[in-house]
Amino acid sequence: MIFRTPLEGIDHPEMEADVVIVGGGAAGMACALRLSQLIDAHNAAHPDAVLSKENIYVLEKGREIGQHSLSGALLDPRSMNELLPGWQSEAPIEAEVSSDSLYYLTRTGAFKAPITPPPMQDHGNYVISLNRFTKWLGSKVEEAGITVFSGFAGSELLYDGDRVIGVRTDDKGVDKNNQPKGNFEPGYDLKSKVTILAEGTRGSLTKALSAKLDLNKDRNPMTYGIGVKELWELPAGRIKPGEVIYTMGYPLTTKEYGGAWIYGGKDNTISLGFVTGLDYPDPRTDPQHVLQSFKQHPFVAKLLEGGKMVRYGAKTLPYGGWWSMPPLGGDGWMIVGDSAGFLNSQRLKGVHLAMKSGMLAAETAFEALVSGDSSARQLGTLKQKVDASWIKPELYPVRNFHQGFEHGFLSGMLNTGLLMATGGHGLRDRYPGHPGYERMLKLWDVMGHPGNREQLTGWAKGDGKLTFDKLTDLYHSGTRHEEDQPAHLIVHDLNICSDRCAKEFGNPCQFFCPANVYEMEETTETPSGKRLHLNPSNCVHCKTCDIMDPYQIITWVPPEGGGGPSYDGM
Amino acid sequence: MADTILVIAEQREGKLNRVSFETIAGAQALAKQTGWTVEAALVGGAAGADELAKTALAKLYVIAGDTVAKYTPDGFVAALKAFIETHKPKLVLLPHTYQVRDFAPKLAAQLGAVLVSDSTGAKFEGGKLLFTRQMFQGKFSADISLSGEGPWFASFQTGAYRGDQVEPGTAPIEDVVAASGEVRTKPEAPFQEAKAAVDLSQAEIIVSVGRGIKEQKNIEMAKALADALGGEIAASRPICDAGWLPMERQVGSSGQTVSPKLYLALGISGAIQHIVGMKGSKNIIAINKDAEAPIFEIADVAVVGNLFEIVPALTEEIKKAKA
Repeated sequence: MIFRTPLEGIDHPEMEADVVIVGGGAAGMACALRLSQLIDAHNAAHPDAVLSKENIYVLEKGREIGQHSLSGALLDPRSMNELLPGWQSEAPIEAEVSSDSLYYLTRTGAFKAPITPPPMQDHGNYVISLNRFTKWLGSKVEEAGITVFSGFAGSELLYDGDRVIGVRTDDKGVDKNNQPKGNFEPGYDLKSKVTILAEGTRGSLTKALSAKLDLNKDRNPMTYGIGVKELWELPAGRIKPGEVIYTMGYPLTTKEYGGAWIYGGKDNTISLGFVTGLDYPDPRTDPQHVLQSFKQHPFVAKLLEGGKMVRYGAKTLPYGGWWSMPPLGGDGWMIVGDSAGFLNSQRLKGVHLAMKSGMLAAETAFEALVSGDSSARQLGTLKQKVDASWIKPELYPVRNFHQGFEHGFLSGMLNTGLLMATGGHGLRDRYPGHPGYERMLKLWDVMGHPGNREQLTGWAKGDGKLTFDKLTDLYHSGTRHEEDQPAHLIVHDLNICSDRCAKEFGNPCQFFCPANVYEMEETTETPSGKRLHLNPSNCVHCKTCDIMDPYQIITWVPPEGGGGPSYDGM
Repeated sequence: MADTILVIAEQREGKLNRVSFETIAGAQALAKQTGWTVEAALVGGAAGADELAKTALAKLYVIAGDTVAKYTPDGFVAALKAFIETHKPKLVLLPHTYQVRDFAPKLAAQLGAVLVSDSTGAKFEGGKLLFTRQMFQGKFSADISLSGEGPWFASFQTGAYRGDQVEPGTAPIEDVVAASGEVRTKPEAPFQEAKAAVDLSQAEIIVSVGRGIKEQKNIEMAKALADALGGEIAASRPICDAGWLPMERQVGSSGQTVSPKLYLALGISGAIQHIVGMKGSKNIIAINKDAEAPIFEIADVAVVGNLFEIVPALTEEIKKAKA
């Protein structure tokens, strides 16, 4: 198997840039738009010293803006009210939240919480399609005169010592054997004064930067969940637009963290999904199967009956929270949005925080352009701006929320009560956390566990109406890649897969990947009789493999720009 | 002496490449802005020289000799290097053909000159020559200016200028003996584009194999059936992914969409990714050992059984019936 690695001896054309934003999602677009606004205001006030917007670029690996944006999504309008007052009149909104409820599911029963806990109350929030919303935001950015390069991924950071001096975009036209094809076009070196990483969850450049500069030092490891989502069209009248339902419990047991959402959109569509914490103990756990079992619960099956699944997708979300966030700025760089972990895991919301962090990064970058100082002294002030904004009062009190669930659901709920009573402090100010993959048990340890897990382990079979096997779901993600390119899931030691992992964990990659990228095929060439086979062009860019692999030998890098899912309407 | 623009026209196998006229048109347009003189050189032989001479050129050189009679990069570079060193054009323009891509970088490098390749246009502004080049897959156009003494090199993308708008005239022809140099390569028969990839969409009968075929050597068995039926062989993705059949024979969402009169699916489970590529087939016969395989939902004839027993027997029967 040949993996995507940087080609040797290639000249990369260079372009000068003032600011490069890597990632055209909610955080990146809010950043670009805010920066444009600040420059417009500056130029109006200082006609003798105008700043140009020509050299501000957004890189987006999706074919189009929004194609890789996936979320529930509920939008807390706080950031939008600041960024574009009156935005509701033109933004694509599915519905304003009309009601919210929380259920606890047992295998066949559904128990409604008498009151929805305050963090999950959603009045004043909006049901949106993050795909449509981001696309719209992107059109605002382009109207403002900022260039968005869709179809271009940031593939490497450029350094001068420890200083980030720009981004290299992906090489186009590299074949399966990592050799240039006839249509080869080398990536561009965008030499930038300020590079803003808005890559989304588990960003590949952010990961490389973290490793180089040891950004995780003295921080809790980031923890994640994977959200698996389907969009359904239902018979008329089944659910109100703006109706919000959360569930806890089945099909998960008390050993796993997670829960479901159901959001009523317009035109009888609903967004339905299940978040499974990527810290589950059973290596056979399959988050796509979890969603299928959830739909079979009578409470949900009744809702979906006669409906049609129209879209599928999956994405991880960072919920390590405050203590997991890396430093936000350094020499030449800043990190925003999901890449930095701006997500409130108690409220299950992150779009508004991602946008706000992007806007604050825009202010920081603007100051850097005016002063000519893009060193850590200037860009590091992003952290002070975050602390002084409403982000801290929102995130700091829930700083220990997720760690509380490390010992299961019940102690997590007790801890949540304790935290709410103590302003988030609990028993000590900073609960430690552990990376989720460390909690995965070896096969011989789970075999002794009590049963009742068949609803979340192994592959879902699918009946083709209510439930779907993984390949059928995957088809509905609209995922497409150039087939003739090297594998972008870099597995650093294939022997571990066929020998150790096959024995110890039973190759959990086959299960946690929601897109059938990882397959174990039979072979006579390895002692275990198994060998890893990759289907990279199935990849939906969720990053679960990079996060959850128990040996941490998988590195996700962007494939050729333009490839990936098509999350229309998601 | 006024500066000159030299166009390198292209002929291959005794035939003039029409794209040469586009480059001449581009040179003439630049000459109008700069006041420079346009000349052209045809390397390798006089084929097409008469036609080229009917354009408004100050001179047409025909460079011929043993080392350029057949195209080799070494022969062309040696001849053109000597020619350019003698005639000292300010600017050398070439069409961005495969042949030019092959030798022009080497020629420019040997002369210590810069080559702006694949440009989409040129203009003369404020005393500066600017070439337009696409970046970021056409999202950006960059104007590139040249500095230094020259000669400068640039190649034009096909279609950058219109060959039919070349200014007519009469050009005097001058024969030049190609300077020779060491030619280290021996030309083989000229490259032919590979035969058009198999067009499965036109096939009336397709025998398609999936994972159930198990091993590469078993493909032959399916091929024998396809041959007996006079049909094409195709496959689902895992087979092409493994390299057992070329990618152009892949049917499905990441391959071809087909609608033959008969589609025989051997050992194909029928994931939706495959179904969307063949569901338009008039008749679908599926052989699969798994009675639950989704392919049976769309099959007109469903055969639950071992394809390794059925296919050879079927092939024999078809051969008999056709004999």
